[in-house]
Amino acid sequence: MTTIDDRPVNPPDEPEPPTNRPPSMERVRMWLRRPYAKGIVILTIIIGLALLPLAWLILVPMNVTGAPASAIMQDIETTVFWFTIVSVPIVAFVYAVLVYSLIKWRGHSGDTIPEDESPAIRSNTIGVVLWTAFTSALAFFLVVWGLVALAQITQNAYGTISADQQPGDAQSVIVNVTAQQWVWTFQYPQHDNVTTDVLYLPKDRPIYFNVTSKDVIHNFWLVELGVKIDANPGAITQTGVTPNKLGTFNLRCAELCGMHHAYMETSVEVLEDRAFNSVMRELGGGRTS
Amino acid sequence: MSATTTAMVFGTEIHQPVQHGKPGGIMRRLNIVTGLIGGIGLAAVAGVVTNALVPSGASTATFAPVAPDLVYLAMLVGWTIGFSVGIGAFVGPIRWFLGRDLTHADAEYMAGKDLGWVRYFKFTTDHKVVGIQYLVVFAIILGFGGLLAMLIRTELGVTWAEVFSPGFYNSMIGTHGIAMIIAMIISVMGPIANFIMPIMIGARDMAFPRLNALSLWLVVVAAVMLISTLFQGGIQDGWSVYQPLASQAPPAMLGYQMTIIVFAISTGVASVNLIVTALTMRAKGMTWSRTPIFVYGVFGAALMGLYAFPFFQYSQIMALTDRIFDTSFFNPLQGGSVWLYENLFWLLGHPEVYVILIPSTAILLELMPVFLRKPLFSFNFAIAGIVGVVALSGLVWAHHMYMTGWAPAANYPFMLSTEMISIPVGFLVLVMIGTMWRGLVWTRLPVMAVYAVIFNKMIGGVTGIYLSDVPANQFFHGSMFVVAHFHYMLMGAGLFGAMAGLAFYFPKMTGRILDERTASIGFWTAFVGFQITFMAMFVAGLQGMPRRVLQFDSLFNAPNWISTIGAYIIGLGMLVFAGAVISSWISGDKAPANPFGSKSLEWQTPTPVPLENFAVLPVVTERPYNYGVADPYEKELAAIDGDLDVQKVGSQ
Ligand code: HEM
Ligand SMILES: [Cu+2]
Repeated sequence: MTTIDDRPVNPPDEPEPPTNRPPSMERVRMWLRRPYAKGIVILTIIIGLALLPLAWLILVPMNVTGAPASAIMQDIETTVFWFTIVSVPIVAFVYAVLVYSLIKWRGHSGDTIPEDESPAIRSNTIGVVLWTAFTSALAFFLVVWGLVALAQITQNAYGTISADQQPGDAQSVIVNVTAQQWVWTFQYPQHDNVTTDVLYLPKDRPIYFNVTSKDVIHNFWLVELGVKIDANPGAITQTGVTPNKLGTFNLRCAELCGMHHAYMETSVEVLEDRAFNSVMRELGGGRTS
Repeated sequence: MSATTTAMVFGTEIHQPVQHGKPGGIMRRLNIVTGLIGGIGLAAVAGVVTNALVPSGASTATFAPVAPDLVYLAMLVGWTIGFSVGIGAFVGPIRWFLGRDLTHADAEYMAGKDLGWVRYFKFTTDHKVVGIQYLVVFAIILGFGGLLAMLIRTELGVTWAEVFSPGFYNSMIGTHGIAMIIAMIISVMGPIANFIMPIMIGARDMAFPRLNALSLWLVVVAAVMLISTLFQGGIQDGWSVYQPLASQAPPAMLGYQMTIIVFAISTGVASVNLIVTALTMRAKGMTWSRTPIFVYGVFGAALMGLYAFPFFQYSQIMALTDRIFDTSFFNPLQGGSVWLYENLFWLLGHPEVYVILIPSTAILLELMPVFLRKPLFSFNFAIAGIVGVVALSGLVWAHHMYMTGWAPAANYPFMLSTEMISIPVGFLVLVMIGTMWRGLVWTRLPVMAVYAVIFNKMIGGVTGIYLSDVPANQFFHGSMFVVAHFHYMLMGAGLFGAMAGLAFYFPKMTGRILDERTASIGFWTAFVGFQITFMAMFVAGLQGMPRRVLQFDSLFNAPNWISTIGAYIIGLGMLVFAGAVISSWISGDKAPANPFGSKSLEWQTPTPVPLENFAVLPVVTERPYNYGVADPYEKELAAIDGDLDVQKVGSQ
């Protein structure tokens, strides 16, 4: 208890906890024999198994707008899947403690201060070390996975190459994307600078986007292709993708850009190479690259 | 009148200030009414004068008329100065300048001695009065933000029509966002840190009582300016008001900028005050290892506030000069940089999340031992968690800018630092479940809320790791998924934790017993509604619904309907909770001094806590949280190697 006194006292600190403890293996075995230990382990497994399907379930809504149409979007889904899987054990353990505590460690209710005191556990080296090791391992996994995956999608998006150094080989298609309140325009420099308001892309060819804005910040989001980059006024940002699926996809503005931000959408048509070229020709882009 | 008084201090005769007139002097006449008169009066005068001075038809470089901007700005400045003068914020410095230092009687008057209820409407310095004032201001701003949340959800639920105009809808989002951020920053640091922390550390008041009053009234000044924006076209650009979008905004943007500038002064003043109080005002014997964890939490949050808020403040000052004086910090057409704005904004924007979460977590750590009747598990890990978060908080801001194209190579280190911060945050979770471990829970509302908070924090945490991953962020950034994630953190962990803290300290702060039955019904209703609202919002985000939109693809209809129903349930629960708090405050039973049998200092004082808290200053002789009995299993363990000299634990 805290004493209230008018004279300064210099009380001694409490004794340090003792250090002579039994060997750790023996402790683990004894620990597992405790009734609550079994309960929590079992609950962790049950909750973990119950949460595991989330790894698949979470991908269901992700495919509602459309299934992945590029390697980048596939990578993103794989990442979400594995991140869910590796988080499950820790979440399951924490929830198991919550549930067990609510069921088995429920003490007295009501207004009177309880008589029973609980065990005075000020710390537990093994528990602390295990927790730190597990969470650090998880964080380490996430970081390594993230760095590798980032390097990979950066490569799939063709890195960030300055505009004048972009490869002009026949395979790749360059699209200059301009955002403006509240429309998108696409210009194809390899096709006589044809300008469109629907994004036409050929399948299986690398596409380079040079993205900019005429007024405020917008965000160029190709939902099913997993491409996202800000369109900034006064700067050109670059990204890229190789669509691997035919069809009509969605482009949404993902940065609040004023009154009609909600309506700043358009569609993305991924076509066979031949169809793409004929669309370009129809629009006046005679020269095919 | 002129008789010099002296006092003996440590055997030396010291001259004391002379009493001029009645104690309090001019402060006797100043209160919120004179503040309002001063503020509104000066705003009106400034507005009229500016209007007369600006040549009619003057326009800016972009052909916008300048008069509305300048008039509104003049009124905001007039309001800020007029209100501060009117309530007496400058009386102290002016008296000092005139050589009329405050006497003891003056100081006691300013602390609200014998003033009754009037002291809550004055520039009162007593930290307990300031705490209660903060509580009321917090509740009002929260209610205002909550009302806007209901309207936003109404629009999103009515998928078949536009209920509000797009401009007004956007301004509701921005205003809701910044109002909630302000409310949550003061949620614990205001009421609980001010009212409770000085008592908890055995002090008579905060280190700087007048600055304390100042920080509170500046929040009031800021909140009024924030609300005034609704009449000036609204904050249509989200709470982050990115440039150059914000430069197109109606005059309301100046209201936002002034709100932030003033609020940042308030948090700066409050942070310094809390830091100095925690450092220097602790009772005799309260060494760092005997200092309660809440003090660490407040200290860490104040440190973060102190370094982070200036970035935000500068960003708004620069935006303001861009608008008024045509500087071009952020205007790309004149060599400015939009990325500079984003960096400055998020240099506050991210640490601010921890400014909200750390005190709210710390208050839970503080109350758990009381209801579990056992010590805090691993006090050192709790401190390590707080220190780790504070240390890393300033190194993660650019994870909000992964998709800006600002510095693609910087995405690697920022992803690293962001994922690292989950380790110290994990420490805090460990301390919570460790404290829960084998403790018999006394099932009262404050500790039951801990279960809700941990539940939400895990969901917020796991979704946070998706977002911290750059590739995944490439899908989630700017979508409703982000919105659901940060509500799990800010509301599910932050607000619910603050509510637990308030329920815990309610008897001490108000002198009444909280009607916990009704409050619990409200709390758990809000909890269920919360899961419905934001789980559905996660689904909308996963489906690819962008944030800050009022119309959307019909693909997203179903989750939005569900989310709106959930939001109304939250609203209902919150109203019930608020009803329980208000009715208990007015007519609850008188609370005993220590209804929960806590061993902390703040509960050893009588209720209501007298002015200056302690008749005799306490001396602390023990570590905190000395609850519990010797662990029965320790004996069993000790028996193994024949060592029966078991650790002596428990209260002594
Ligand atoms: C009653 C509970 C609440 C509901 C139903 C709610 C709902 C919403 C909704 C629908 C949005 C707009 C999402 C969008 O389209 O971008 C939003 C934004 C936001 N909310 Fe809440 N909210 C609630 C409570 C809170 C709380 C307690 C905080 C605490 C900090 C908060 C902070 C924010 C912020 C910072 C934004 C972002 C504003 C922006 O995009 O600029 N909200 N909220
Ligand atoms: Cu846009």
